[in-house]
Amino acid sequence: MRVLIIEDEPRLAENIARSLRESAGYAVDIANDGQEGLFLAESNEYDAILLDLMLPHMDGLELLRRIRKTGQHTPVLVVTAREEKESVVALLNAGADDYVTKPFDLGELLARTKALIRRGKGQPSPVLSIGDLELNTVTRSVYRGGRAVTLTAMEYRVLEYLLHRPRAVISKTELLEHLYDYNWEKFSNVIEVYISGLRRKLDDGSAKQLIHTIRGQGYVLQD
Amino acid sequence: MKRSSIRARLIGIVVLSQALLAAGLLFTGIYYTQRRLLSTLDAAMQARAMSLAALVRYTEDGSGNLYFDDSLIPPSIDPAHPDLFAVWTQGSRLLAHSANWPQGLEIPQQGGDHWRFKWAHVRYRGLRVFQAPVLDREEGDTFRAQTLTIVYATPLIQLDQQVKAAGWFIALWSIFLLGATVLLALWGIRRGLLPLQQLAAQAAQVSTDHWELQPPEDADKIAELRPLVQSMTTMLARLEHSFVQQKEFMGNAAHELKTPVAVLKSTLQSLLQRPRSSEEYQKGLEHSLEDLQRLEQLLQWMLRLARAEQWAHGALRRDLQVIDVTATCEEAVERIRHLAEERRMTIHLSKNGPVPLRADPEDLQQVWSNLLENAVRYGPEGGTIEVEVGRMQGGPARVVVADHGPGIPADELPQVFERFYRGDPSRNRATGGFGLGLAIAKALVEAYGGTIRAESSPGQGTRMMVELPVSFS
Repeated sequence: MRVLIIEDEPRLAENIARSLRESAGYAVDIANDGQEGLFLAESNEYDAILLDLMLPHMDGLELLRRIRKTGQHTPVLVVTAREEKESVVALLNAGADDYVTKPFDLGELLARTKALIRRGKGQPSPVLSIGDLELNTVTRSVYRGGRAVTLTAMEYRVLEYLLHRPRAVISKTELLEHLYDYNWEKFSNVIEVYISGLRRKLDDGSAKQLIHTIRGQGYVLQD
Repeated sequence: MKRSSIRARLIGIVVLSQALLAAGLLFTGIYYTQRRLLSTLDAAMQARAMSLAALVRYTEDGSGNLYFDDSLIPPSIDPAHPDLFAVWTQGSRLLAHSANWPQGLEIPQQGGDHWRFKWAHVRYRGLRVFQAPVLDREEGDTFRAQTLTIVYATPLIQLDQQVKAAGWFIALWSIFLLGATVLLALWGIRRGLLPLQQLAAQAAQVSTDHWELQPPEDADKIAELRPLVQSMTTMLARLEHSFVQQKEFMGNAAHELKTPVAVLKSTLQSLLQRPRSSEEYQKGLEHSLEDLQRLEQLLQWMLRLARAEQWAHGALRRDLQVIDVTATCEEAVERIRHLAEERRMTIHLSKNGPVPLRADPEDLQQVWSNLLENAVRYGPEGGTIEVEVGRMQGGPARVVVADHGPGIPADELPQVFERFYRGDPSRNRATGGFGLGLAIAKALVEAYGGTIRAESSPGQGTRMMVELPVSFS
């Protein structure tokens, strides 16, 4: 999963980013002002955007409207210091999916971000599954036919992304874009390594193969 | 508190004036009626007395003796209540009298023709005619002509009744008119006060969400209400302005305070998320301390602003000494010099002798420091800042702080004195300010009855001008 944080207080952005990276294994990009935020949001595929409201160069609300105007469905979680009802109403009406008020709890922010990403992909439950494969996004544990599977951090992230969009063909580029921050192009060769690692660990001892390669297009998770 | 009602008062005034009018009308009415009736009565009495005189005849014998022809006595004025009369000859001989003539009635010899008396519980009006000639005298009579004394009196019973009736008539009509007037006044007052009530109802609609006062249509047409409507409208506009300002301030203050708290909290929470190396802990704690210090600074600035604004509202009273404005400028320049040198900036102070002013030197230094800090912060590195201090000819003390920075766009100029306003919208630590310095300066300057304004042309720099009225009282 790849998340964009638009926050003008660099230390706060860094703290949130660190937490998302460490606890959820997400790739995180940071924008320190509205213009940069809009540019990143328009030029990359994010699974969620965390947006501060008071931003230099472009107000957060305006940015939100612009993002929504382009037809992007990326879930947006607004981080605001304002608690007045009218500003919350304006936020939700402008297309925000959820909001937290400063000072927030990092754990809560993390949980809300995860929930937003799940809902954005049509998966309301924190436990994702296909066939006899099960992935718990809270405990970050994976089971195949009741057997616990131990994955590396990157393998987990690849599988989590595939499980959010089961039965859909997912290209290597899409995987790269959603699993790495803006440096993703450097990693273009590693996806095959993670896929083969995943196949080995998941299909070990099972009759059925779950991850299929579609030549020239990408991968499909199917039972 | 004693409550009073305009309606009750107006009705009271109306009733009182109507009652006075009615009383006056009753009095004059009765008086006039009585006078008119009496003069009619007097004329009738006079006529009857003359008729009586005509009934006195000389005897045929030419002796000059008199007799009274009682066959032609005129009827009483009021047939129900017989009149009294008596006729005396010159020699005080009672020649004739009415049947009911009271013997022993005292007839005053002094005074006018008429008098009043009471006999047998009846009030009478009497007419005395002295030396009435005997009309019967003919040409050629040799005896000396005689005169008569005639007294004619009539009871006032009928007259009193008539006066009483007139009095009742006037009184009843007065009461009726009084009642009608009160009703009319009540209706009129109610109608007249209606726009006021509508205005009150409209005023009750005003709330912190809805500041618009929609005065009733006629309120503007009513001369007495117009000033009220106008002052209410201006008062509401002022209230709304300060309310909105206060709300904005609260929002801004909340944002400014919550952000550093959020940073601090997130730093500590992410430190605790998993075991860290001691370097990571060290760095986290250093960051936390920095954020805490910034929070502390913000609190200090906010307290300074609160104090300055309280000062401006006269909540704090201090004994002020006459101090030298120039000296406070020198002190402020000295304080900022270290920061200016860091940015290789030079500060020129041009002064023109001491400028005495009754003030707290700390306040003035605060103002100059804030202006200088902005100039140093936003001016170009290696640039110069000019400070002029002096007193205008017979006018206020004047301090100008000018920099050669990028300047302030004309549309932002009016906002620079607003609380939490920042020319540089990126709120990162490099520029460091909280946007309170100019607001504090303004509050302090205004507390001394002075003015502060900014002049700027983009690319040329900014001039901040402070004028303080000089008073030695």
